[in-house]
Amino acid sequence: MQSEQRIRRMQADGILTTTQAELLRESLDWRGTRDQAETSAAVRHARKPVSRWALGLLGVIVVTGFFLLTSGSGLEPTAPQDVAATLNDPGGIGQMNKSFSGLLAVALFLIAPLLLWMWLHNSLVTKEETVFEAWAQTESNLERRADLIPALVETVSRYLRHEAETLTSVTAQRGDASLAAALDELIAAQQASAEIVGEDGDSIVEDEDELAALYAAQEMVGRRMHSFLAVAESYPELRSSDQFLELQAQLEGTENRINVARMRFNESVASYNAAIRRLPASLVASAGGFERKAYFQADAEAREEPELAFD
Amino acid sequence: MRSISLLLLCLALNAACTRSAPDEAELVIDKAGLLAAEQRNRVALFHGLLLSDYDIDYRVVTAGDAGDVDTFSLAQFEALGTGARSSTGRGLLLVIDPVQDRVRLEVGYALEGTFPDAFIAYVEQRQMVPFFKAGRVADGILATTELIVTRAEAATTNASLESEIWLEGSGGGGASTAARLGAGSDISYTDGEVSAGATPADTLARYFAAMQQRNANPTLEIYTPATRRMLKDWLTTPAQMDSVVKSYRRCHAETARIDPSRRYAVIRYPIAERQCSPWFFEKTDGTWALDLTMMQRAIRFGRDNSWHFERGAAHPYQFAFADWALDSNGYPRAR
Repeated sequence: MQSEQRIRRMQADGILTTTQAELLRESLDWRGTRDQAETSAAVRHARKPVSRWALGLLGVIVVTGFFLLTSGSGLEPTAPQDVAATLNDPGGIGQMNKSFSGLLAVALFLIAPLLLWMWLHNSLVTKEETVFEAWAQTESNLERRADLIPALVETVSRYLRHEAETLTSVTAQRGDASLAAALDELIAAQQASAEIVGEDGDSIVEDEDELAALYAAQEMVGRRMHSFLAVAESYPELRSSDQFLELQAQLEGTENRINVARMRFNESVASYNAAIRRLPASLVASAGGFERKAYFQADAEAREEPELAFD
Repeated sequence: MRSISLLLLCLALNAACTRSAPDEAELVIDKAGLLAAEQRNRVALFHGLLLSDYDIDYRVVTAGDAGDVDTFSLAQFEALGTGARSSTGRGLLLVIDPVQDRVRLEVGYALEGTFPDAFIAYVEQRQMVPFFKAGRVADGILATTELIVTRAEAATTNASLESEIWLEGSGGGGASTAARLGAGSDISYTDGEVSAGATPADTLARYFAAMQQRNANPTLEIYTPATRRMLKDWLTTPAQMDSVVKSYRRCHAETARIDPSRRYAVIRYPIAERQCSPWFFEKTDGTWALDLTMMQRAIRFGRDNSWHFERGAAHPYQFAFADWALDSNGYPRAR
């Protein structure tokens, strides 16, 4: 709401054009561009029938095996019981023990793998949920930074405008012009992020290219926001003001949180990706539809030549 | 003045300050050797009080060349289990790196609502760094702790849900800044003289206005000559000046009391406003000047910033408190 008020105020005062205001408004509302519940559930839902089918099949095998073994003693139900037959010979194995051994075999060969399957499946689900939670944390920090854009733009623009009006400062007028260009780039970068998140939702964590594109767009957002802060370097009064200190602290604090969240997200992805590749969990993963997750980092090309990628 | 309350408290509790603080080794890890043993004790003592009074587990680490201070702070926060001593996981970690000349105050999840990044950046830049620039590391740490106490105290009156639940670890909250250790003081005073007023209330209003403008000039005419000499050696930070203005805004001053000789005057506040300490004035050249020297001698502050008299301290302003009684610790009570 506060962002919306700022945007309206800036639009009324001519700091933002109608188009800029509209684009900025859209780019800040990236969660509104998608149905989060739908996208979030989509990844999980895709593999549920597979795992249910596998678990169902195993259940049928267990029940059938148990029935066959318990009904396969060879005794007619109506025949008198031959007690002697149930007595053990010295050193021999009785019928009761044979039946018990059979059950044990079923347990060993069917129930134990089933339990193992379930345990592996559940541990993969837990790891995958950790990835989703870490991504939600990352995304909320990206959103938190986006929410700072209107305040940043308004503070710096108003100061420059004030300088240009009262002091007819050439530097301020030049700064105002370069700021207008930086504003367009900032809005474009934020809009690019919003489009990527809006299209992919939570399934973005399985798309390496999209996640790399979002990373690049967010890097650009950060750079452009800092270009606004850099304007203050020429104006000691603005730089030393408490309002600017607050803005700078919020931006730097959010960026540090993004870094921490990104690091934790990548750690959770590494742990999950390693888990779905290890045997025997890899069998459960492939039958259960557990997909490899992408890292939130620059793509390989950008990592090699970061300057070319962003400047 | 409340801004020096904790430091004065230490003087008042001299015996306590000289004894070894409990768990000093855990609360203060001085790998860079920036603090003397007595200073480590003092910091640990106050941070121990912060834990017992406000359930905040505040650690200090100094480390030479820690690399990226943000990354290092997070790793140390986790490695030290910062917040584990608090019943709600409230942790703060101050990292000072003299080689990179950076300082960071890391705020755990449980305290993010109480200490937002902007507040932390403010206390670092407006309170801690001025002391660091003067080479007074321990004083800078403690002066910052004082602002943390003030905010924690305010937060207890507006306790939110987060104060009841355990929140472990840190998500990277807090702020880092250039420490500027030993860079030398470069406080520039605001131009313009502030003269003393014709009445004590007038002088006090001018003093508050000067503080609002962050005018730390010690030679202003609103101070008595002795006060000017004392302030010349003092370090007054922007945050301390802000704090004076902010805290007295809530106080309701009584009419000035002037002694029969018409040389001394006092402006005091109702006893119930325990955090509003009185002001002393001396008439100099026909105007009323603030006598901070005598205030420093006579007034002390408790852990919750409530003021009391230093028992046995002689000063010519006792006439203004004849209708009050003092308890054994010097706290005023109505007769």
